[in-house]
Amino acid sequence: MTGVKEVLGAVVAAPLGWLARLLDTPLRLWQRLAGQNGMVAFFLLPNMAIFTVFVLLPLVINIAYSMTTGAALFLPERTYVGAAQFERLLRCTDYTDLMTCQEDQFWIALRNTGTFVVLQVTLLIVAATITALILNRALRALSFWRAVFFFPVLLSPVVVGLIWRWILDRNGVLNAALVGMGMDPVNWLLERNYAFSAAIGVTIWAHLGFFALILLAGLQAIPRDLYEAAEMDGTKPARVFWRITLPLLMPNMLVVIVLALIRAVQVFDEAYVLTGGGPGTATLFLTQYIYEVGFASLLKNPGLAAAASILMGGVLIVLTLLQLALGRKNERKGKLK
Amino acid sequence: MGRIQLHDIRKSFGAVDVLKGIDLTVDEGELVVFVGPSGCGKSTLLRMIAGLDQPTAGRIEIDGTDVTPRSAADRGLAMVFQSYALYPHMTVRANMAFGLQNTRMPKAEIDTRIAEAARMLEIEPLLERRPGQLSGGQRQRVAIGRAIVRRPTAFLLDEPLSNLDAELRVSMRAELSALHDRLGATMIHVTHDQVEAMTMADRIVVLRAGKVEQVDTPLNLFNRPANLFVAGFIGAPGMNLWAGQAKGGSVQLDNGAMLPLPVGLAVPDGAVTLGIRPQHLRPQAGGPLQAKVRLIEALGPESVVHADMGAGNGLLAVLPGQPDLARGAVIELGYDPQSVHVFGADGQRLG
Amino acid sequence: MSRVMGFLTRRKGGTGWDWTDVFTFVWLGSAVFIMFGPALWLVMSSFKSPAQLSEFPPTLLPYEAQVVTVEGYDRPLPLFSVTDEAGTRTLAEVRRVGTVAQMVDPENPTEVQRINIANRTPVREVGFSWGNYLDPFLRFDFLTYTKNSIFVTGVATLITLLTNSMAAFALSKYEFRGRGFVVVLIIATLMIPLSVILVPLYSIVSGVGLINSLWGVILPTVATPTGVFLLRQYMLTIPDELLEAARMDHASEWQIYWRIVLPLTAPALAVLAIFSVVWRWNDFLWPLIVLSRQEVYTLQVGLNAYAGELNVQWHYLLAMTVITMIPVVLVFIFLQRFITAGIAGTGLK
Repeated sequence: MTGVKEVLGAVVAAPLGWLARLLDTPLRLWQRLAGQNGMVAFFLLPNMAIFTVFVLLPLVINIAYSMTTGAALFLPERTYVGAAQFERLLRCTDYTDLMTCQEDQFWIALRNTGTFVVLQVTLLIVAATITALILNRALRALSFWRAVFFFPVLLSPVVVGLIWRWILDRNGVLNAALVGMGMDPVNWLLERNYAFSAAIGVTIWAHLGFFALILLAGLQAIPRDLYEAAEMDGTKPARVFWRITLPLLMPNMLVVIVLALIRAVQVFDEAYVLTGGGPGTATLFLTQYIYEVGFASLLKNPGLAAAASILMGGVLIVLTLLQLALGRKNERKGKLK
Repeated sequence: MGRIQLHDIRKSFGAVDVLKGIDLTVDEGELVVFVGPSGCGKSTLLRMIAGLDQPTAGRIEIDGTDVTPRSAADRGLAMVFQSYALYPHMTVRANMAFGLQNTRMPKAEIDTRIAEAARMLEIEPLLERRPGQLSGGQRQRVAIGRAIVRRPTAFLLDEPLSNLDAELRVSMRAELSALHDRLGATMIHVTHDQVEAMTMADRIVVLRAGKVEQVDTPLNLFNRPANLFVAGFIGAPGMNLWAGQAKGGSVQLDNGAMLPLPVGLAVPDGAVTLGIRPQHLRPQAGGPLQAKVRLIEALGPESVVHADMGAGNGLLAVLPGQPDLARGAVIELGYDPQSVHVFGADGQRLG
Repeated sequence: MSRVMGFLTRRKGGTGWDWTDVFTFVWLGSAVFIMFGPALWLVMSSFKSPAQLSEFPPTLLPYEAQVVTVEGYDRPLPLFSVTDEAGTRTLAEVRRVGTVAQMVDPENPTEVQRINIANRTPVREVGFSWGNYLDPFLRFDFLTYTKNSIFVTGVATLITLLTNSMAAFALSKYEFRGRGFVVVLIIATLMIPLSVILVPLYSIVSGVGLINSLWGVILPTVATPTGVFLLRQYMLTIPDELLEAARMDHASEWQIYWRIVLPLTAPALAVLAIFSVVWRWNDFLWPLIVLSRQEVYTLQVGLNAYAGELNVQWHYLLAMTVITMIPVVLVFIFLQRFITAGIAGTGLK
C-alpha cells in the first residue's frame, strides 16, 4: 500500500501542492485587500457558481419552461401557454379509462411507476430486512457475505441491464435451465407481465445490498445487553424481534423506506436498458416518458416534459420533506438518550 | 519589546456584555496570570489580545503601537492552546516549522531554531513523531516549543496545564516558570486554578464577570485582598467570612460571638464582613470562637476542621498536626487580631 | 477440510438445528448464486464465439471448434466427429448444403464424403475468443469511448473534490451573513434528482455551447450538494483551535485550507472520491442526452447504442460490458471497507 501512496503522491499531490503554493501569494494579497469575507467568497465561488448555473437555475426556469410550448430550446423564444401543458397532461374524458386521456402515455407511465413503486419497494424492504437480520447473526466472514450482497450496487445500470438482458434472453441461460427441468421456455422480456416483473427483480438485485447495509448498521447499533436482558427474562425469539429489534431498527427502517421510495419513483436506467420500456408500454416509467417527450421522440415537446418533471418533482419533494422530518425526529430522540 | 497595554476593552455578544471595560498594562518580561471563575471573560480577553477575536470597543497596544485592527498573524504573538491544537497530520518537527515557513524563513534558520527549542524542552527524540503518538505532557512541551521557535513578542497561554494530571501539572508549572526566567519574555497565562496563579505569576489579574477585581502580586493578593470576591477566591481552603456589626473595635456576629479587630484600624460602626484565613486560627482555651466539629479532614501534617458556630455560620480551620478531635466536640479558637480582614458593606476592604 | 465443515455447520449456538439456521443457509447459499452468478455468466459468455452464443442450450464454458489445415483447401476446415453406419471417425467439413455436408478425411483429402448433419458433432476444446475483446478496440470506437469515460471520471472527480471541499470549508469554518441560507439551500437540493431538471438543464448546457462536449457532461455533476454536505459534516468535527493556532502561526486562510483542513479531511475526501469515481463512471441518462455524436460517447452510452442496434452483436457487447465493469469491480475489491463504512455512516450512494 505504501507504493500506491507514493505513486499517488508523486502523480497527483505533488503538482497540486506546487499549484497551491503558487496560489498562496496572490491569495494572501486578496486576503489583505478583501479581508476574511473576501476569502469566504473565494472559497464559495467555484462551487456556488456551478451549483447556481447547473442546479438552481434549471430548477427555477423549469417552472417557466412548463408554461411554454414549441420546439425552440431557449426560454425567450418559446410561446407562453399558461397551464396548458399541465392540462394536456392531466386531462382525460373518462378517468376510469386511461386510453381516453389526451396524454395517455403519461398516464400509462404514471400507472406503471405507481405499481412499480409499491411492488418493488415492498419486496426490496422485506428482502433487505431479512438479509440484514441474517448478516447480523454474528456470522463468520461477515465482510465476505456483505460483499456478496453489495457487489451489484456499484455496477453501472447499463451493465446491470445488459447482464440481465443476456440472462433473460429467449435463448438465454434461464430458459435453458427451465428447459433442462422439463418446463417450457418463457419470453421473459417480450411478455408484459414477465417484463414488468423482470424490471422489479433486476432493480431489487441491483439495490438490495445498499439498503441491507444501512439496515445492518442500524441492527449493529442496538446494544447487545438488551438482547441479553431479554434472554434473562426468557423472552421468545419472535417476541424479541417484534418488541426489541424492530422498534429499535425503526429509525433506520424509515430512512430506508423513504430512500427506496425516492429511488423507485425515478426508476429509469436499468429498466430502460433491460426492456426499453417495452413490450409496448408495459415498462414505460415516468423518467423515460420525460426523456422521450423531451429529447428522444420525433415530436419533441420540451414544455410538456418540463411539466411532467415538475409533477414528479412534487412527489419527490413530499418524500424528501418526509425524510427530513423523520431525520429530525430521530435526531431529537438521539439527543434525549 | 513586549509591553502590552489594554485601554477600556469591551466585548459584547448581542445584548450580553462579556467584558466591561478593561484597562491593563503588562510590562515587558512580566508573567501575568489572568485568573477568575469560569465565564469571567479571561479567555475572551486573551483571545482579543491574540487577535482571534475583535473587541467591541477599546484599544490594544503592543510596544506603543495600536494593533487593534491587525489580524492575529500580524501581531507577532504566539499562543499555547488549552487543547494544544497541534496539527495532527504533521510531525513534531513540521508542527514547529509550520509557522516559520509561513514567514518565508530560510530552512537553515528554521532547523537551528527547532534544534534549540527541542534541546531546551528535551523533546529531541520526539521530533519525527506525530502528536497522536505523544503523551499529554509531551504534547504540552511540543505546543510550548511551537511557540518558542517563533520568538514572539509575547507568549499567550490559555489554560495550558488544565489537561494534565495533577502530578504533571505541578512539574510543568515549575518548568514554565523556569522557562519564563530563561527566556525573559512577556507571558500572559490564563487559568482558573489559583494555585497555578499564585505559584507562577509576577502579577495576578483577578477577573469577575468581565471586570478586573484586583491586579497585584500573589502575596499582596493573599495578604491584602481588595474586596470580598478576591478574599474568597484566593487562598485554599477559602477564607472564613462572617457578617456582623462593628462596634467600638470589635465585631459582633449573628451568633453573639464578639471578635476583636486589629489594633489601630478605624472601623466605623455598622454592618461589616469579617474575614479570617483558616490557617490563622489556632486552638485557644476560652478563645472568642466556639464551634462544634462537623468534619475533620486529616491530611497528615495538618488537619482541616469543618465546624458550626451556630446561626448558620460555618467555620474552617487549618490546625497544625493531628489534633485529637471527635465529631461533635466543641473547640475553642483564637487568632492574632492583626491577621483579620475587614470589608465594608460595599464589599471593599477597610483599612 | 474439517474446518470447512465446521464453518458450514456452524449454528446459532446450543445444540440441534434451529429453523433459522436452515433459513440462513438457504438464503446465503442462493445469494451467492444469484448475486455472483449473473456477473460470472456474463464473463464466461463474453469469451464465446458468435456461433457458440447462439447455441441453445448454452454451454457453461467457452469452446472453440477445432480446425485443421487440409491439403488442397486454402482456409482451415472445422473438424467434426461423425458416427454413422461406417463407424465413428473424425472428418473436416468442406461445405454444407441443406442437411448434407461435404466432408473430407484430413488424412485422405481427395475423397469427399457426403454426411447427414444429424450424424455429426463438432470437435471442440475449451478456448477463449479474445477477438471479442480486441476487435471493438481495433475496429470500432470503443477505445475512444473508454478514453472519454476516463476523462469524464477523472476530471469530474478532481473538480468535485476541489470545489466541494472549498465550499464545505467556507460553510463550516467561517461565520458570515447568509451562511445558514446557503446550507439550507444545499440540503434542500440534496434530493433533487437530475430527471426533474432535465429539460431546462439541457437548454442551459446548450446555451453555453456544451452539447456534444465532455465538459457538458462534467460540469452539471460536479457541484454535488451531497459532496458539500458530507465534507461539511466532517469538517465541523475539526476543532477550531487548530485553525486559530495556524492563524497565530502566520498562515493565510488559503494555507489553512490547504495545509491544515484538507489533510485532516482526508477520510471524508477518500469516501467522496470513491463515490464520485463510481458515479461518474456509471452515469448514463445525462450523457445519453448531451452526447449524440459517436466520437464523444462515454462507455455507458456506447454500450447502450450497441445494445440498441437491430442486430445486436452480443459477442462484442458482452466483452465490452465486462470491460465497463472492471474499474468498478476493482474499486469494490480494494476499497470495500471505505465504501461500506461510508454508506453506513452517511447513507450516500
